[in-house]
Amino acid sequence: MNRRMRLCLVALGGAGLAALFTAAFLRLPAFGGDRHPYGDRAVRAALHRHTANTIASVNFDLRAFDTLGETSILFASVLGCVVLLRQARDEHRARPEPADVAPPVRRYALLVLPVAVLTGLYVVAHGQLSPGGGFQGGVVTATALHLLYLGADYHALERVRPLGAYEAGDALAVSAYVVTGLAAVLAGTAFLANTLLPYGTFNTLSSGGTVPLLNAAVGMEVACAVVVLLARFLDQAVEIEEDSGK
Amino acid sequence: MNGWLLAAAVVLTGGLGAALWGVATGPLRRRAVAQNLATVLAGSGLLLLAQGYDRPSYLDLALVLALLGPVGTLVFARLLADDLAADPPRARAATWATVGVAAATVAAVCAATGPGRAMGKLLVTGALLIGGNLIASRALSGGFGGVRGG
Amino acid sequence: MIAVALLLVAASATAAVATRDPARQALVLSVLGVVLAVLFTTLQAPDVGLSQLAVGAALTPLLLLLTVRKVRRRPRREEDPR
Repeated sequence: MNRRMRLCLVALGGAGLAALFTAAFLRLPAFGGDRHPYGDRAVRAALHRHTANTIASVNFDLRAFDTLGETSILFASVLGCVVLLRQARDEHRARPEPADVAPPVRRYALLVLPVAVLTGLYVVAHGQLSPGGGFQGGVVTATALHLLYLGADYHALERVRPLGAYEAGDALAVSAYVVTGLAAVLAGTAFLANTLLPYGTFNTLSSGGTVPLLNAAVGMEVACAVVVLLARFLDQAVEIEEDSGK
Repeated sequence: MNGWLLAAAVVLTGGLGAALWGVATGPLRRRAVAQNLATVLAGSGLLLLAQGYDRPSYLDLALVLALLGPVGTLVFARLLADDLAADPPRARAATWATVGVAAATVAAVCAATGPGRAMGKLLVTGALLIGGNLIASRALSGGFGGVRGG
Repeated sequence: MIAVALLLVAASATAAVATRDPARQALVLSVLGVVLAVLFTTLQAPDVGLSQLAVGAALTPLLLLLTVRKVRRRPRREEDPR
């Protein structure tokens, strides 16, 4: 296939896509209109189940199955990264030299680390009340842990990061999500249906039925997954070196 | 559009626009400083937006940005330490001007909120934003002296 | 307000595409992430904005720079094997 032919193919595909996009765009409702059939129903369902944050209700209740898919995608991609970035046979580990960090930066890192972890947990726990939820909070918590690498050195991070535990936590959290769904099946309703737990008082931490549980599972999964992912990248960038003389 | 939103628009257009110009052009040191300042300006903008839309829960965004923005700058300061050490950034005037904008924003929003838990959260966010920014600019101008291979 | 945020996003995205050096591109990309979060806030979607902030502010630059570092270290060693 020569260059001209390839260009023609790309142009053909691009034209088709552009036509479809234009057709779809012309049928879109006007920007900022006041008719939101899906939104109205979602808000009604969220209020009925005492979930203050409608987004959390959509993610973890109305479309919980969707979220299970997204969770598995993250799990699978992290698994792929772990397999790809493992230590190959012709590589060896070099101990990184300890870094010389300015004292104010070190103090800042050690001071902010607990605050950031706490904020991450807060975002996870309040997912059904205010903006946030498992994904966002999990990422914040996992990023916060890496302040240890930035403020001290890689060795300090490795000491508080038993990688096996995080890998197990990742898998456990995904299973917890599935088990919560299966519990609904055992109780005689549909997979992941939010009928097991009492809905609680509106706008309190324990409201929303299974939403907080699923939120916590996703939060744990994301936090562990990000830690494992960053660990592989850090290993490659900092520790693992190819054997010289090749 | 109320006064808060207008202020947010001014901060975002003027401040973030300038920071964007700084990050897109010039030598590496200027880009790093501009990235750091963009965090603070966006944080002030988010605070003003939360107040303008009258949604206290939007403050979470400013809080998370105040925590993670300086962390992002520290990432650059650490991993680009070699390049930055050869040509350390110095932008005292710009840094203090931005910090002034942030402090004024926090003070104004606090005054509008009134005492209470919300004000405490605001103050924590502001302190993290400003402190983090100062530490991050310190780190950019030679905070990671002898990082080699680490 | 939405127009301001949209303009900023368009400008920073263009700048990110126009920058060639990966390290500098990471700097522009992190600003783009923050600006996108502002856009999502003006569109009343704080959840999405929070995700964007969490990922874009520190995680993406860290991953990118670690990759750049790994890739850069390799050729240097081939030039002068110790």
